[in-house]
Amino acid sequence: MHTETIETFADKVRTIPGGEHLEMCFSCGTCVSKCMIQQKVEADYNPRRLIRKAVFGLDQDAFSDITTWMCSACDLCYPACPQKIHISGVINAVRDLAVQAGSSTPLSTAVVNEKTCVGCGLCVEVCPYEAIELKEKPVPNRGQNLTIAQVDRNKCMACGLCAASCRSTSIELKESFSNDALVDDLWDWLAVQKAEVDA
Amino acid sequence: MVDAARHPKIDIRAYTEVERVEGFVGNFKVQLREKAKYVLADRCNGCGECAKACPIEVPNYFEMNLAPRKAAYVPMSQSVPLIYNIDMDACIHCFKCVEACGKLEAIDFSMQDKYTWEDVGAIILATGYSHFDPSLIPEYGYGKYPNVITAMEMERINNSAGPTHGDIVRPSDHKNPQKVAFINCVGSRDKRFNPWCSNFCCMYSIKNAVLIKQGHPEMDVSIYYMDIRTPSKGYEEFYDRARELGVKFIQGRPSMITEDPITHNLFVHSEDVTLGRVTELEYDMVMLNQAAIPQPDANVMSSLLNASQSPGGWFMEYHPKLRPMDSPTDGVFLCGACQGVKDIPASVAQGSAAASRAGRILHSDEWEIEPTVALVWEDRCVSAQGKKCGICANACPYGAITYETGKAAEVITAKCHGCGGCVAECPHNAITQLHFTDAQVLAQMRALLAHKPEEKILAFRCHWCSYGGADLAGTSHFDYSSNERGIRVMCSARLDTDFIFEAYRLGAGAVLYSGCHPQDCHYITGQVLGATRADRIRKGLESAGMNPDRFRVEWISAAEGDKYSRVINEMQAALDNIPREILLEEIETLRPTMEKRARRLREVPEVESAISYSDSADQAVKAKEA
Repeated sequence: MHTETIETFADKVRTIPGGEHLEMCFSCGTCVSKCMIQQKVEADYNPRRLIRKAVFGLDQDAFSDITTWMCSACDLCYPACPQKIHISGVINAVRDLAVQAGSSTPLSTAVVNEKTCVGCGLCVEVCPYEAIELKEKPVPNRGQNLTIAQVDRNKCMACGLCAASCRSTSIELKESFSNDALVDDLWDWLAVQKAEVDA
Repeated sequence: MVDAARHPKIDIRAYTEVERVEGFVGNFKVQLREKAKYVLADRCNGCGECAKACPIEVPNYFEMNLAPRKAAYVPMSQSVPLIYNIDMDACIHCFKCVEACGKLEAIDFSMQDKYTWEDVGAIILATGYSHFDPSLIPEYGYGKYPNVITAMEMERINNSAGPTHGDIVRPSDHKNPQKVAFINCVGSRDKRFNPWCSNFCCMYSIKNAVLIKQGHPEMDVSIYYMDIRTPSKGYEEFYDRARELGVKFIQGRPSMITEDPITHNLFVHSEDVTLGRVTELEYDMVMLNQAAIPQPDANVMSSLLNASQSPGGWFMEYHPKLRPMDSPTDGVFLCGACQGVKDIPASVAQGSAAASRAGRILHSDEWEIEPTVALVWEDRCVSAQGKKCGICANACPYGAITYETGKAAEVITAKCHGCGGCVAECPHNAITQLHFTDAQVLAQMRALLAHKPEEKILAFRCHWCSYGGADLAGTSHFDYSSNERGIRVMCSARLDTDFIFEAYRLGAGAVLYSGCHPQDCHYITGQVLGATRADRIRKGLESAGMNPDRFRVEWISAAEGDKYSRVINEMQAALDNIPREILLEEIETLRPTMEKRARRLREVPEVESAISYSDSADQAVKAKEA
């Protein structure tokens, strides 16, 4: 009568706090149509599908799904869910497992300029995801035990609050949201405005 | 309705409330309050002149408040009996209706509520259901956006006798809508409100969609659903017909509705699950298929009739499969949605079943009940000696025991179902249960523990569940320890504390206290009584210093034969773990304590003779062996 229990991917998700009750999902799509990230940012973002991947044990699929990495835990979906599933908790659990399995976020997360960071800790205070810590680190040409901000890549959601609050422009997002790119965008926009006014 | 009113044996008491119910199966006495209509029933001929004369208009509840009615009114033109009624909350006492009524003189403003007592043999509860208020779900905007309506409002708008004479218009501008959406499962299948499926919403949303499509093929009708449930005969074919007529079915539960403030058109935000894409479609009107919920005052009826309610608030049936139309109280029957959400065919079937069950009672002069009822020994009852007690009446799940200080408690035999809860609860052993007397159970215990009691596992099982579980373990050939000895009682509520202590006094190795799972109990709350007592016994045994492995409480259903065998085997293993000499020593040390705790058992009438009989039987066996 005794059967051996095999720990599935769904079981692993369930054991992480917040990841319980994922099997209760009706797949009704309420969370998807409630989600601002899905509607405004990324059309492939779909929490319903991620829960389904978790239930069916498609772990590699789930790890490469953009949903795993983009949920900002705003919890708009949670009060709307008819099955009372804490969806951002499930996504967070999947993300933890993805990190354990060696995956990392595809977002262009915040990067600290170690040469200029003074370790004031402003960015640590503003970060909504507790992704930044002040830690000692040897920095070439500056010292052996320098206390500077360090970003946990897998917690960072690339919101840019740290970059906006840093007084020494020592932390910023890369690529299209770097300080230079944003200033360039601003100049372009001003040029367009000016052209319109002149015309 | 008219046929029922004309039937010589049917007496319709409209606008009447049940105030009190006394008595028992076949002999109920019911107090009715006929509410004052301010119109004399024997004089009113239903001409409606009073309503024409009345200057007051209030919202018409029957038309879902979409149309007005007068303060002198009938709920609907087909009302039976067709007697007008004056709404005193709205009336301004202008007496125009009295003038209009003229020589009939049917209106009487001095009328009072009338109380009467009636003798009835059986009672059928058919109190129906109520509607969930969709304005509790803020994201759908019901009550905020004029063009979001409920299914019942749609029902009136789409009715040729309704406020718009069947012309489908939307409330904001009275124009015919071109795009209509229906949303299913509003407040049902939703753990935030009601977890149950409301059963008939899928079908009536399809019905409304078909009705609209038949009258207006150009209209665009979409139904948002999570699952379409069409399980009964002909339902799936009807679903097919809706598809053929061009009704669009969209799988996905809308997360919100927004409104264009100028046109009052609505945007339904939903994921189309089959496409995997979020849609935001524009509609002229949206209909919400709200959940069915129990009547808000169902608990009043529940306490009047001792008809218990299931966790959701629906009336509880005696048995979900075998007796779905009986309530736990004999002579009270259930039909329709008050027992659980169901559609019209199922309600009619259950109503006919309930009527024939009631007819069985009305046609018999005598009513047979189970013989295992409780009886009071009047000379032992302390209530008769003028002391305040009433423990038995509190224990009875059926309200079958009445007591008054100065008089012995009385069991109404027709109400007693024979769980034995009162027998075990009575601290003075003044009640007994026929066929399960203390003497009979004790005789069984003594016989089962006559030889090597320290090796035995004495299992007390309830008749309906754990006894069935043990039986299933046997017929399924699930092995369990041969040291198990079982005693059957009707309910775990019957398991007297004295029995357990006496079993240990007799030297039992281990005792199992088992019964139904709480939701399966055949005696409403008998298991709860048993479970509370089991906790008390466990604490008593622990404080006496007994090894906790020797007492076990388990709730085992009749389908859990494997659990029964597992529990017994675990108990055997636990018993084997205690070295024999330590076990024997513990039994001997605890014997005086157990004797003291079980001393009251010896006071019970007939117990002495049972003891001397089992002693003599024991001696006879020993003599034969020698």
